[in-house]
Amino acid sequence: MYNRLRVLLISLVLGLVCLGALWRSGVVWAWGMKAGSGRPVQLKVWDWWSPSANEEYGEYFAAVEKVYEERYPDVDVVLQIVPFGNYVQKLATAMVGSAPPDVFQSSVYWAEGFYQRGMLLSLDSLLAQAAADTGGQRLAQGVFLPSAWRHNHTAEGRVFGIPQIIDAQCLIWNLDLLEKAAQEDEEIRDLFEHLPDGTPDYQRLHFEGVRDWEHFRRLVKKLTRYGQDGEVVQAGFAINAYSGGAGMFPPWLAANGGRFQNEAGTRALFATPKGVEALEFMARLYWEDKVCPPFRRQIADGELFEEGKVACIAAGTWTGKDIIRNTLGWRNFAKTAFPPGPRGSGQKTLTWGNMLVISRNCPNVEAAWEYVRLVCGLEGNLLRLKYLGYNGPRLDLYQTPQWREAAAARPYLANVPQICLAGDKLRHTEIIATDHQANPVFETLLLRYPEIVAGQGPYSSVAAALKEAAGNVDQVYGRYHQQAQGWLARRGEGE
Amino acid sequence: MINKGWRALIPYLYLAPALSLALIFSLMSMGISMWTSFHHFDAFAGSAGYAGWENYRRALFAADSYCWLALRHTAYYVVLCAVGVLLTALPLALLCQKVRWGQALFRTLYFLPSITPGVVLALVFYHLFGVWGNLLDQPRTAMPALALMGVWAGAGYNMVLFLAGLTEIPQHLYDAARVDGANAWQQFWHITLPMLRNTLVFVVVMTIIGAFQVFTSVYIMTSGGPERSTEVIAYTIFLNAFAVAGQMGYASAVAWLLFVVVAVFVAIQMRVFRSRKVYDE
Repeated sequence: MYNRLRVLLISLVLGLVCLGALWRSGVVWAWGMKAGSGRPVQLKVWDWWSPSANEEYGEYFAAVEKVYEERYPDVDVVLQIVPFGNYVQKLATAMVGSAPPDVFQSSVYWAEGFYQRGMLLSLDSLLAQAAADTGGQRLAQGVFLPSAWRHNHTAEGRVFGIPQIIDAQCLIWNLDLLEKAAQEDEEIRDLFEHLPDGTPDYQRLHFEGVRDWEHFRRLVKKLTRYGQDGEVVQAGFAINAYSGGAGMFPPWLAANGGRFQNEAGTRALFATPKGVEALEFMARLYWEDKVCPPFRRQIADGELFEEGKVACIAAGTWTGKDIIRNTLGWRNFAKTAFPPGPRGSGQKTLTWGNMLVISRNCPNVEAAWEYVRLVCGLEGNLLRLKYLGYNGPRLDLYQTPQWREAAAARPYLANVPQICLAGDKLRHTEIIATDHQANPVFETLLLRYPEIVAGQGPYSSVAAALKEAAGNVDQVYGRYHQQAQGWLARRGEGE
Repeated sequence: MINKGWRALIPYLYLAPALSLALIFSLMSMGISMWTSFHHFDAFAGSAGYAGWENYRRALFAADSYCWLALRHTAYYVVLCAVGVLLTALPLALLCQKVRWGQALFRTLYFLPSITPGVVLALVFYHLFGVWGNLLDQPRTAMPALALMGVWAGAGYNMVLFLAGLTEIPQHLYDAARVDGANAWQQFWHITLPMLRNTLVFVVVMTIIGAFQVFTSVYIMTSGGPERSTEVIAYTIFLNAFAVAGQMGYASAVAWLLFVVVAVFVAIQMRVFRSRKVYDE
């Protein structure tokens, strides 16, 4: 009995030691890889876009993988989906655990922080090597929309990402409701482009059709319908006060000539008269003009819009495809930028270009870079246009027959390039932390505006509330900046 | 045959796997967390230097700290949950005990929420609360609404615990009480409740510990809103640890503050409940 037990224990220990050694050497992992694909190099790609989201995404990712693997037969593209909400912690965990993705999509929410924390590879040398590329393969600042090439490099010009998309916040209008109202209202009729015979083109809106905030207010009031008890049955505009909905303040601020933060990410700039006007404009649309559906956490603006209960919502330029899918084919909507406020000039919005980046410890830099070149080149832009209906960050995309065909088939895309060009840079420093400080204040201002104006709310005025929020955001920036300087200094990149 | 020395070793061998897991995943993690709380720390970039008590000072005294607010909200949630669980689980257990037929069915039905993932419950209640008068939209009602869900989710589990406690009470105590002319209320007050003391202590302590750690419902349903009215301590810890760069040290400090608060609460409870002798056969 004793001998048996001893043999058993020794065997167990030896077995564990052998297994550990094999695991550590990577042999077990390599066996798994070879048995799986038969390709020697595995390229791990992370994204929060998922092929299982719907058939369009499935087809897009399959097409990218097919093109890439045909071109590089020794590389196996392994796409791993990580939810947007868990991206940062999973990425940090993977990197600390020496199992990072080779290449991944980074939101502008995190890109700057990822680079400053040393998680990303600088792409300068790879870009320099590819400087001779021409046409659709070329990756350089000049081939992208200026608004796309903003979040992907440091103030000193070090590039850490290549724009994969260009997104912007915009106003989306229900053209069915507008056309109906336009039959009796000249001001609304004037919003539409004109056909060659001079009649309104009810599929297209003038990019600058909405002249300013007062004009916008008049239009949405005309588009609002009330029930017998005075309740809004068709809203002119929708504002969501809760959580992320309060994040609609920044584009209105931009339209009034204001900025949320300074370029260096060290100071909040929204506690100004421009900010006060922007927030009061939003609050008055709800409380005084009564053009919005009631503030309800569970009611999504997008759903109301798709149900035809709201004439205009603020959303992203990427939403067109989603609206068509959710409404089983309805596409009679159009997009514009935000009209200028009293201190603004011209149509404005906020834009950003989420990007492909390469991990600092990527073992397959060459394969990763080729993936970036495919996805961020014209070919990748065309694949996204074909399967997902997205516009892209490259200028040459808009010169292709495919874009012209897409814009003709989906008129809502017509204004999108202009919207993307009209945008200021989306805030980019510690967005989640600043949201935590600022959004509850914006939320309170929207929910309790009448009380605050009457001097009975939790803040003495809108200006005081914004000042408090900006002060707290400054604390976030200060702490972050101090740490970022430490991280950069450690790599010899500090100020 | 195994000699005496080996025989003495065998229990430790059986314990070793569980002990090593506890050491690695609990005690060692707690040690690292303690160390982290005294540093400026980022999950990826690592330590950016010793911070001393700064993280604790910031949590407790900085103007932009929501630690006290979150602690207050958490305490409110804990009270609502503890009271709610006691007022639902014990009556349910008493009712369930009286049922002659289908007790297993009732037990299963009431227990079901306990084995349903919290995220699923949160999503269902998120929409239910939208139908039931927008409970999540008002600062006054949002936290009670979350507690309502917490109580609903925990009542079945605690009911089963109470039920187990009730079956342990000797029947002859009730028989004797009835012979002495005690009515139902007197039997409950003088026999059931004292005899359930140990179960009661366990249920209350576990409910309080669980409620102090409330996170899923807040994360899914309110994100701490409206107007920060449901910002709880676990949400603050999560946000700083995982969503904000370089704040792992601060988050760890807040986590240790939570640990202290929970430990004090539990210690007080244990002391209060143990102050009187439990009935013994």
